[in-house]
Amino acid sequence: MTWSELYLGPGTWILAVLAGGIVGMDAVSWPQVMVSRPLVSATIGGALLGNPAAGMLTGALLEVLTLRHPPFGAAKYPDTGPAGLVAGASYAAAGGHAAGALLTAVAIGWGLGWVGAVTVQVRRRVNERIMSPAGELAADPALLEHRHRLAIWMDGLRGAVLVAAFLVPCVLTVTLAAGSPPSDLARYAIASLVLGLALSAGAAARSAAFGVRGWPLILAGAGVGVLLILGGLA
Amino acid sequence: MRPLRSDHLAAWSRTFAIQGSWNYSTLVGTGIAYAMLPLLRRIQAGDPVRLKESVARSMQPFNGHPYLCAMAVAALGRLEQEETDPQTIEKFRSALRGPLGTVGDRAVWGQWRPISALIGILAFSLGVGPMWCVAIFLVLYNSGHVAVRAWGYLKGWQAGLAVGGLLKRAWIERWAMRLWPFNIVLTGLVAVLLANMVVTQSDVPLSRSVLLVMGAICSLVAFRLPRKGGRAGAVLLALAPLLWLAGGLAG
Repeated sequence: MTWSELYLGPGTWILAVLAGGIVGMDAVSWPQVMVSRPLVSATIGGALLGNPAAGMLTGALLEVLTLRHPPFGAAKYPDTGPAGLVAGASYAAAGGHAAGALLTAVAIGWGLGWVGAVTVQVRRRVNERIMSPAGELAADPALLEHRHRLAIWMDGLRGAVLVAAFLVPCVLTVTLAAGSPPSDLARYAIASLVLGLALSAGAAARSAAFGVRGWPLILAGAGVGVLLILGGLA
Repeated sequence: MRPLRSDHLAAWSRTFAIQGSWNYSTLVGTGIAYAMLPLLRRIQAGDPVRLKESVARSMQPFNGHPYLCAMAVAALGRLEQEETDPQTIEKFRSALRGPLGTVGDRAVWGQWRPISALIGILAFSLGVGPMWCVAIFLVLYNSGHVAVRAWGYLKGWQAGLAVGGLLKRAWIERWAMRLWPFNIVLTGLVAVLLANMVVTQSDVPLSRSVLLVMGAICSLVAFRLPRKGGRAGAVLLALAPLLWLAGGLAG
């Protein structure tokens, strides 16, 4: 992949920003159909840059890495919609085959998810102001509806701004990483991602388990995976 | 006045936006009021003072799983229609908050969403096209999502004050208890398949058996110590591209 081969025109950028608005809004505000999950948003990002499979690989890794962060009430958790979209688009833009680019895209997606988490907290505080004073809103239900919808639009705007701000820098960074050839440290880099994935999977499994007695099941799942690989099915 | 079917449909469809104005003061309270408005306008038609009082009650702080809040919207609407006294409504709201959050979080965020996503990733690992995998995830997940919202709303309206008892023996709770072993097996399976995809794609010489054993140990440690394990996973994730780039620069 060379710089001249990279194509991220204004049309693609605008589509990505619009998609960022939708996936940013989906996670909490409306309609919560989970297009904000990295599995979906990264695939959309990849598709916009012409390589949905590259986007999905990035998204699948981010999905497992973020499984242990359920969106409980006021908790702080990675905002995976815009982050996944940017990560998936970045890896797709970088060709979708260089390992260095994949590692960078996933790390960027993770980091950007936490940047998004901070913006979600700011949004919650802004909503506090939008939805007050309570007496005024109760007296005028149409105003309550208007303010509620405004808050939803602002969440969409938040997602769009995140993508608008980070898409080009992230695409450039991941494309740069794609040009970095494997070295002696490459095996440690890949092992680092794989072990990070294993740790995240273990933590996610625990959050799903009702107690600690489920640990053999994760090994059973891994065993099935090994059999599928040895059988040539995966 | 009794709400019409169109009012119920409008209120139910508004529950999809129930967290739109989530904030630290009222949590999902203003969203509850927003969703209840089609019902309240019909119930309190022609009486703006009572409408204002009903809206003010509905805006009080509330929390719960967003999908199961449909149950609260319908049940509270029913109480407003039956002209239940405000103190009882307030007590009912307080009593409903805990169960709605716990049951929904355990079943939807804890089980259904990860299982749907893992099935989508599993399909991708087995060679299904990415767009099909996205469709599998979205259709599977949202079939459960919409069913929970519809069931919650319907039962909320039918049961009114008795909805709390209904939640204790709800199918959704039983499902969560049955699904978790499947969730954990899928997590292990998908982690191995994804790791294999990364190693294969990287074209870097690695001992897969050593990596598998180390990965298994790591996942068991993280299962035992999820907080520390998750943090260590994030550190390794950040370290991976740095190692790659450092090697490239040194070379």
